[in-house]
Amino acid sequence: MPVLQIDNLSKNYGRLKALNKLSLTVEKGQIMGILGPNGSGKTTTLGIILGILKASGGDYSWFDGTMGHNYRLNIGSILETPNFYPYLDADDNLEIVRQIKKVDDRNFDDLLDLVKLSGRRKSKFKTYSLGMKQRLAIAATMIGDPDVVIFDEPTNGLDPQGISEVRNTLTEIASRGKTVIMASHILAEVEKICSHVAIIKNGKLLATGPVGSILSSDIFLELKSDDTDKLMGFLRSNQSIKKIELKDGVIECTASENLNPAELNASAFSHGIQLSHLVSRKRKLEEEFLEITR
Amino acid sequence: MFRLIKLEWTKFRKNTVIQLLILFFFLFFPACLYFGTLIPELPSFLPSKESFFQFPDIWDYLGYAGNWIAFFFIGVASVYLLTIEVSNKTMRQSIINGLTRNEFFLSKLLSIIIISAIASAFYAVLGLIIGLIHTEGFDLVAAFDNDWAIARFFLMCLSYTSFALMLAYIFRKSGLAVFFYISYVIIIEPLLRYFIIERVEKASFTRYFPMNACEDLMPLPVMRYANAIPDNIDFAFLLEYKEAVTATIIYLALFISLSYFLFKKRDI
Repeated sequence: MPVLQIDNLSKNYGRLKALNKLSLTVEKGQIMGILGPNGSGKTTTLGIILGILKASGGDYSWFDGTMGHNYRLNIGSILETPNFYPYLDADDNLEIVRQIKKVDDRNFDDLLDLVKLSGRRKSKFKTYSLGMKQRLAIAATMIGDPDVVIFDEPTNGLDPQGISEVRNTLTEIASRGKTVIMASHILAEVEKICSHVAIIKNGKLLATGPVGSILSSDIFLELKSDDTDKLMGFLRSNQSIKKIELKDGVIECTASENLNPAELNASAFSHGIQLSHLVSRKRKLEEEFLEITR
Repeated sequence: MFRLIKLEWTKFRKNTVIQLLILFFFLFFPACLYFGTLIPELPSFLPSKESFFQFPDIWDYLGYAGNWIAFFFIGVASVYLLTIEVSNKTMRQSIINGLTRNEFFLSKLLSIIIISAIASAFYAVLGLIIGLIHTEGFDLVAAFDNDWAIARFFLMCLSYTSFALMLAYIFRKSGLAVFFYISYVIIIEPLLRYFIIERVEKASFTRYFPMNACEDLMPLPVMRYANAIPDNIDFAFLLEYKEAVTATIIYLALFISLSYFLFKKRDI
């Protein structure tokens, strides 16, 4: 059963198309990273599926429609910035979330321990550092133990220590078997935390799938020979090779994972081509990301 | 419903601005009476100023003072109740956390109803105490013989607060909404009325303008005597209570439905 189903979602701000017929499915237990450059429509997508922005077109449904209008009670979410009452302390702010979520358990000790805020729980929110605010927001998403948690740029604006703390907390949450949706423009974050990835640019979905499939199904090859034209011709005739490019005398190509570089070398030699340079490596998500969003 | 009231209470019980506005309301309301004692001796065709502190005139006099105090303090508080949630993005977060738009709207509506009810209860208690002190003889029936003054006061508070809340829904920024609220009530509408009256002879329909109708629920007591003159000059200054009540209820429905329509339609 899909947790979230998005169909052809569009959102226009005047003439600007922030989202253009975006479709996406998130299954139970996935840790879905929504990856895209700034302004690509990540936050707009999350805003719509959380009911605060009105879509210009298209549709979405949570939990197969089984929860009706109350679906948000089963989702913990931060959008853009941690939003709390600055004049209230951590306990009061969490209490407000608890009342909204209709949760009975008033004990926030474990949550505050998880995000390491127990020592400052009686301080007003406005006295917190950005990292502490972000961590309180993460604690708030866990109230009522929802099945789905959504984070939007969770490490934005944090210092390296803050980033590492938040990432550890997210990994910890993900390991509890929840469905996680995380928007980010930072590849390393998605690569480390997520099981699946959807890449968005200009409001359009460019690619989606398990991180592994986008990460490693293709092999990246660099080849060089004295007779470049002959080598190009040879590579074009190989069905495993998908894309060939010549850069500064070096041929770069992507090939499907069943290609064996040693066999390729032997085959080239038997065709009378001597390779002076052969490197094969798996593609990194970063290159893939740049490639896809180019 | 109780859940929403409790939620609003948790949100605002420690808010300094709300605390101060309400405190000032409670302090300045009775303080206004002091100025009543400073009024110079009135012309002989008017009642003596002592009667302002006695039943039944105390209700008019106190109500008129409360008119200004409520307009300012609880009106501004109503704007603030919403705009603070917009500027802190907690309105957004409340919806994200699972409150439906209807529930959020209802929570604000309940807040202004409760604030208006508390203000009216204070008016009732204050009027009763002062009246009992200054009126000879203890007669509760006579004390409450006041043309539904407490209900009119409540309606007046509700009209100010719902107007203020509507402006908050429209402008979303505290400064802008408060500025428009105050300048509409004390400058824009009176000016509009003045110019229309100038152009259109005896344009007494301008008395039905929203904030004037609301003010006429608790008019300046002396105006009642001016209202007795129209036979000669063929012009009524004030709305009858019935007219003011009807007009205000219609405006109230308008303010609330417009707010609701805007809130449901717009992005948050």
